Amino acid sequence: MRNEKEVIKLIENNLDPLEINKKRKQNLSVSFTPDKTIQSLSFLKSNSYKHLSTISCVDWIDDNEFELVYHLFSYEDYINISVKTRIDRDKATFVTLKEIWPVAEFYERDIHDFFGVEFEGNDNLEELILENWNEIPPMRKDFDTREFVNEEYEWRDYNGQKHTD
Amino acid sequence: MKDKFKRGKWKEFLDWAQNRSLSMLHYCTGCGAIELPPTMTSRYDMSRFGIGPAATPRQADLLLVTGYLSTKTLRRLIYTYEQMQEPKFVVGFGSCTINGGMYWDSYNTIKQLDKYLPVEMYIAGCMPRPEAILDGLLKLKDKIETGEAKGYEEYKENIEFYHKNQEEALGEVQRTQ
Amino acid sequence: MIEMLMTAIKFLLITIFSSALGLLFMGIARKVIARIQKRYGPPFYQPYLDVIKLFGKNAITHGFIFDFGSIMALGGVIATLFFIPLGGWYLYSMSGTVILVIYLLAIASLGMAMGTVGSGNPQASLGISRALTQMLGYELPFLVILFGLIYKYQTSSIVGLMEAQAGGFMNWNLFTYPIATIIAFIVLLGMMGKKPFDAMIAPSEIGSGPVVESGGKYLGMMMLQKSITIIIELALFVNLFLGGAENILIFILKMLIVWITATMIGSLYPRFRIEDGVLFYWKWPLMVAIVQVLFIIF
Repeated sequence: MRNEKEVIKLIENNLDPLEINKKRKQNLSVSFTPDKTIQSLSFLKSNSYKHLSTISCVDWIDDNEFELVYHLFSYEDYINISVKTRIDRDKATFVTLKEIWPVAEFYERDIHDFFGVEFEGNDNLEELILENWNEIPPMRKDFDTREFVNEEYEWRDYNGQKHTD
Repeated sequence: MKDKFKRGKWKEFLDWAQNRSLSMLHYCTGCGAIELPPTMTSRYDMSRFGIGPAATPRQADLLLVTGYLSTKTLRRLIYTYEQMQEPKFVVGFGSCTINGGMYWDSYNTIKQLDKYLPVEMYIAGCMPRPEAILDGLLKLKDKIETGEAKGYEEYKENIEFYHKNQEEALGEVQRTQ
Repeated sequence: MIEMLMTAIKFLLITIFSSALGLLFMGIARKVIARIQKRYGPPFYQPYLDVIKLFGKNAITHGFIFDFGSIMALGGVIATLFFIPLGGWYLYSMSGTVILVIYLLAIASLGMAMGTVGSGNPQASLGISRALTQMLGYELPFLVILFGLIYKYQTSSIVGLMEAQAGGFMNWNLFTYPIATIIAFIVLLGMMGKKPFDAMIAPSEIGSGPVVESGGKYLGMMMLQKSITIIIELALFVNLFLGGAENILIFILKMLIVWITATMIGSLYPRFRIEDGVLFYWKWPLMVAIVQVLFIIF
C-alpha cells in the first residue's frame, strides 16, 4: 500500500517523465514523450497498476496537437494515474496498446471514430457509435455542429414562423 | 375500393373494441422512458383504462416513442414499426420528437419524427408527468373511437414520401415486403 | 340421427360455455391481483374485449405448419372437454378417463410446439422446451397420487371417483386425505403456469415464450385455448378432491374458490428457474406422495 509520494518517487527513479503533478488526493498525472509511453505503461502494469479505466483524447487546436490520456488504477494503492502524451495533429498516428491490455482495442476504435487518430497494429478500426458518417470526425474543434445541422435537417414550420439561428 | 367517407357498421364495432383494449410497446429510446413505470404502477394506474403492456412488436398496437432518436436507433425503429400488425398507432412523447428538444443542435439526432413515421399524437413536456401521459392517451382513445386515427393508411398511401426521407437520413434501409 | 344431433348441440354448448367462463375467470384474476397491489384494475369483462379486438386485426402467417400448430392446440383442448364432467353434464364416461385426460392435455403443448417450429424464432423454441420440461416435472407426483386414489376406490373414471365422495362433505378427499390434496394443489399451480412456476411464459426474459410470433388472430386463438385449459384443470381438481357437484352453480362456486386461492398464492412469489422448478417437484412432493400412497395401500 503505497503513498502518493512513494509512487512519485518510484516513477522518477525508474522512468523519464516530463512532468509529474499531484492533482488532488489519490490522483496523479504524469506526462511522457510519445516514444517512451508504451514502456512506461507496461512498467506501471507490472507494478500493480493493472486496471485501464479508459483512454481519452483532447484536441489542442492552437498548439496543433492531440493529447492522448490513459487512466490507470491500482487495487493495492487505490491511486488513479493519468498518463499523457502529445502527438501531432496533421499526421495523427500512434502505436496500439492491444498487446498489453486487450480491451484497449475498443477505446481506440472509439477515438478513431470521433477524432480521426490512426493506431498502427490495430486492424479492427470500424465505426463503433456513428453510423453512415461522411464528414470530418465530429469531435474536432473545427467541426461546426450548428452549421451542419442547419444544412442537413429541416426545421418545423410553425404557421409561417421559421426557426431562428 | 373502400368508401373513405363513411365507416361501415363492422368497422365501427371493431373500433369500439379496439379503443378499450390497447396493448402498448414502449420503445424506450431516450430519457423519457423513466416516466412510464410510475404511470403503470399503483398510483396512476393505467390498466384501468384497458391499456396494458405487450412483449413483442407482433402483439402490440401502440408504439410509444419516448425521447430523442439517433440515426442508429431510427433504423431499428422503422424495422419495428413495419413488423407490427394493422391497425397500429404511433405516439410521440416529449419535445425531442416534436422539434429536436434539448438536442436541437446535435449532429446525430433527428429533428422531426413526422417525416419518417406517421404520428397520431404528440405529448408535450420534458418529460411529461404521468397525469399528462394519461390525458394524451385518453384523447387518443377518443380519436380511435370516432375513426380519425388513420395513420397506418396514410403510411401506405404516401409511402414514397416516407421512404425518401428515411433514405436521406439513414442511407440504405432493408425492405422485406 | 336425432341422438347425434343432440350430442353435437350439447357439445357446442359445453364448448361455448366453458370458453366464456374461462375468460371471465381470467378477468377476475386480473382484478384480484390489482386489488392486492392496492390499485383499481381493469373491469371484469376486459378479456372479452381483448379477444374481440384480436380477431379484428390482420395477421402474418409463417407457412402451413404455423397455422396447423395453432389449430391443433385449440382442437386438442376442445377434444378433452368430452370427458370432464362439469357438475352433472358430461358427454362420455367410461373407465380410464382420468388417465386419458392427462394424456390429452399434452396434445395442446405439442400443438404449440409445432407452431413454434413453423415460426422460426429461437425465443419461441426456448419457451416451449421449458413448458415441456416442466410437464415432465409435475406429472410424477400427480400420477403417484392418482394411482393411490384409483387403488382405494377401485374405479378409474372421473364420474366414479366423483360419486365415491358422495354423502356429506366430510367424505371429500380434502378431509380424508389432506396431504394428497395439498400436493395436488401444488401440481395445479404448475399446470396452470402461475408463479413460482411460470418460466415458460416469462414476459420479460424471452418475449412471451411460445406466442412471441403470433399476432392478431393467432393470439386470439391462443387466448381461447388458455381459457379452456383453465376450466379443464380446475374441473379436474374439483372433481377429484372436492367432491364434484350435481348442480352447476355449486360447481362454479367451488371452482371460483380454488381459482382465487391459486391466484392469491401465485401473486406473491418470484419465478423459479426451470431446473429448480423440475427438481423441486421431484424432491419433497414426490417423497411425501409416495409415503401417502404407501399409507393408503397398506
